[in-house]
Formats: sequence, structure tokens, C-alpha cells
Amino acid sequence: MVSQALMIRGRVARLATRWMLAALAVTLAPLSLASDDESRDPGYWLQQLEPALTRTSYKGVFVYARGDQVSSMQIAHRFRNGMVEERLVMQDGQVGEIVRKGMDVVCVLPKHGRMELSSTIPSGPFAEVFASQLMPVDRWYRPEITGRDRIAGHNVVRLALNARDSLRYSHQLWLEASTGLPLKGKVLSMSGDVLEYFHFTSLTISDSLPDREFMIQSEGREVSRRLEPHSAAEPGKNMEGWTLGWKPEGFRPAAAPRSGSGKAVAFSDGLASFSVFVEAAAGTEMPSGTSRIGATTVYMQRLEKNSEVYLVTVVGEIPLETALRVAESVDIEDSAVLGASLR
Amino acid sequence: MDDRLKETLSAMMDDEADELSVRRLLSQQGQDELRSQFQRWQQVRDLIQRRHPAVESIDVSDSVRDALDGHDRSPGRGEVAVLPPKRKWQWSAAAMVALALAVGFSAGTGWDSAPVTAEQPAASGIPELAIQGLDEQQQEQLSRYLLQHAQHNSFGAGHASMGYARAVSASGVR
Repeated sequence: MVSQALMIRGRVARLATRWMLAALAVTLAPLSLASDDESRDPGYWLQQLEPALTRTSYKGVFVYARGDQVSSMQIAHRFRNGMVEERLVMQDGQVGEIVRKGMDVVCVLPKHGRMELSSTIPSGPFAEVFASQLMPVDRWYRPEITGRDRIAGHNVVRLALNARDSLRYSHQLWLEASTGLPLKGKVLSMSGDVLEYFHFTSLTISDSLPDREFMIQSEGREVSRRLEPHSAAEPGKNMEGWTLGWKPEGFRPAAAPRSGSGKAVAFSDGLASFSVFVEAAAGTEMPSGTSRIGATTVYMQRLEKNSEVYLVTVVGEIPLETALRVAESVDIEDSAVLGASLR
Repeated sequence: MDDRLKETLSAMMDDEADELSVRRLLSQQGQDELRSQFQRWQQVRDLIQRRHPAVESIDVSDSVRDALDGHDRSPGRGEVAVLPPKRKWQWSAAAMVALALAVGFSAGTGWDSAPVTAEQPAASGIPELAIQGLDEQQQEQLSRYLLQHAQHNSFGAGHASMGYARAVSASGVR
């Protein structure tokens, strides 16, 4: 798309300018950093989010809570030679870790865990459009700097992103003051209940993390997979055999894995996302209804069309009402395509 | 005084009355009758529990009303302003509530704090699926969906760690 290409080009130019400015700031006035961070507006921090998540090298431990589950995880992340390297090690329960190098992912899983990655890591394609700065996040959320704080020994800026409508949840982010890396985050319901949060308890930001931090160190069943980057830039086309009559404003099609038996499309508004799965209801009999784990809503519903039964599932960090409306708007266009995808 | 009011009064003594019933009680005509009933019960209870007798002739209705209004800033404030000032004791609302709570607590058999659940009630008519209630295959299917969604998240938005955290967390669902 031309407009997308323009946006990307614009972003590259902005990025280049920002890096040049950053380099200048670092060489000329390292002491002025603190005052800079005072004057930065929410827009700056929003723009900084994606590069901060990708390009910052760090290691640390964070807790992650959703519903009544709390787990603690160790993470190491770096950006080298234009490639993201990451290792995530579960700290509670059974041993398990996930190592990612660019598009290669290796998972060492708990023996009795339920993660069947071999069938679930899709081989792509993933759309570039997902990158958050391409989304006008502030159209759907009201960004506001609500103060300063300290998390895991680092100074942070607190950014509130309040949903402008009831179709999505509100978010709060605590961003490390010099890099913009989120050190704490909360997802809040309309009534202000915390549905999900993560919180770094220790963190080291360093460009010289040793290579062994990114190597698999536990024994177990290994599953590796290569993620193919998306080649065609039309993610919406992947809804094969079905269409969506309604989606909450601001959500755009983002990714659609082609492997596996399901037909799934992901949508994102830049902060939240949901995935829609449409499958012919054969094999496992699934009940209809909803289930919620923290901020994640799962809504399943059966759909009959031309005497065939399909299972429509919506999974996402969205309120139930939104998931419900999305699921109800699914329409089967070509049952042959969906039927053909069955194993 | 009807039984419903007595019930509210009794509930108030146990600190179990809801705001609406307390308001209804306070808006009753026969305030004196109510007051004396309340005091009688209070005295009886104090006797049983061998505590200091309840202070007589404290009119708590205004303070309680104020306390209620302090919680509720929605319409209705104007209504309070036109009430005749018949305050005998200038107790602060907070002190009053504290007293009410203290009485309620000491009289009660213990305090069970209701667990705060982050989950909102499901919209009407939608069955709530307990993940524990699903069979092995169904759980697997659900896990597959959760994981796949987590991965859409992780690679797309750059929230790699968050996506995985969600996936790992989902795998812990039993």
C-alpha cells in the first residue's frame, strides 16, 4: 500500500533523525538527559516503545500475573546485527525456556506442559503493520504522563493509556527514563480492576551481555521452528473462506499464520490484539461460552452455515462484549476452503 | 415499625445493612421509636457481652446520613441540605463510621473479607467456561488457541517477552 510505504519511509526518516539527535545528545550533553526526560510528551514515549522493546539490551527477572496466577520469569534480550536475540526462562514450577534468535525459536518445554509448539508456532506470515508506531494509538487511548517512579532500581516515567471507548481495556506503563523500556505494565478493566500485570524486580541494561545468556541451558524436549517473514503486504487477505462483519474501531488485521489446521487472523490497535479462529467443527467437540484468564478473553461459539458446523473462537486482550460482537459477525463465505484445511 | 425496618436495624447492629436500607430507615417518620428500639437492643447486647452500656440519647442518624452522603456524591445532596438541623452531637462522619464499624466488628463473629476478583460477571446468557471443566482434548485445543494468539502478540508487537509470558502462563492452566 502506498500510504503504508510512505508511513514506513517517514518513520525511517524520523528514526534516523532521532538516532542522530540521540548520538549528539550522548556526546555533547550527557548531563542534560534528566531535564530532557521531564519535557518529553506522551507521544515521545509511545513512539519510543517499539524501538525500546526491540533495541534495548537487558537482562532481568519479572513477575507476570493474570487472574490468580503469578509466575516469575528471567529474561535476557539484545539486538545484534539487526537481529533480536532473546531467552526466557521460567523460574517457577517445571523447567522450561524459550530461546529466540531472529526468526528462529527453540523451546525447551516442561515434560508435562501443554505447550505444543510444534503445531502452534505458525510459519508466518507476520505483517510489518503490527509495529506499534504505525498505529495512531492515541486515537483509541488517551495518553497521559501521570508521574515518575522507581522500578527495580531504575527511574521510570509513568504513562497512562486510558481507553477512549468501552471496546478495549486501559493500560498503564512504567517506562525506563533513558531507554523507554517498559519495566512495569498493567491492563485495567473499565472499572479500574487490574486484570493483568508484569513487573520487573531486577534489571540490568547493558550492551555487553555475554553470549551464554542467549544459549539453551536446560535439558528437555526441544522444539525448534523458523518463522518466515511475511512477503505479501496484505494481511487482510488471509481470511480464507470467511469474513468479519464487524471489528472494534482501530483494530487492523495484523498477522495470519498459514500453517496448522486453523484459519486465524490477528487484529491489533497498536496496544491490544485479538485473534479470530474459524475452523470446521470436526474432531474435538468444543463447548460454547467464554473463559477469562486475566486480561485475556476466550469466546467460543458454534456457527452453522449450509448444514455445516464451524467453531468460531475469539482470543484477545479485549472485553467480553467486544469478543462477543466480533465472533457474532463472522460469516462463512466458502466452506470448501475451510473444509479443505482439515487434517 | 414494620418487620422490614426491624430487620434493617438489626442488620445495622451487625454492620450488615446495605446503604439503601439504611437510607430507607433514616427517612422513616418515627425516628424516636427507631432510636429507642436501637438503644434497647444495644443495651441488651452490651449487657450480654458485659461491656459499657450504650450511651443514651445519641442521635446518630444525621452523622450516619452524612457518612453515607460522603460516600455517595451523586444526586441527592441537595435533599440533605434542606433537612432541619437537629444535630445534638457534632460527631464527625468518619468517627461515626469508625464507631459503627467497631461495634459491628466486635459484635460480629469475625470478618471475612470477600475475595476481590478481577473478573467481571459475564454478560447475561453467556455460559462461563471453567477451564478445569474441559476434558484433556478441549484443554489442548484451548491452549493451542491461547498460544497461537500469544505468538501473534509476541512477534508482531515486539512484546516478545509478554507474548511468551502469556503463553507460558496459559500452559500452566490446568
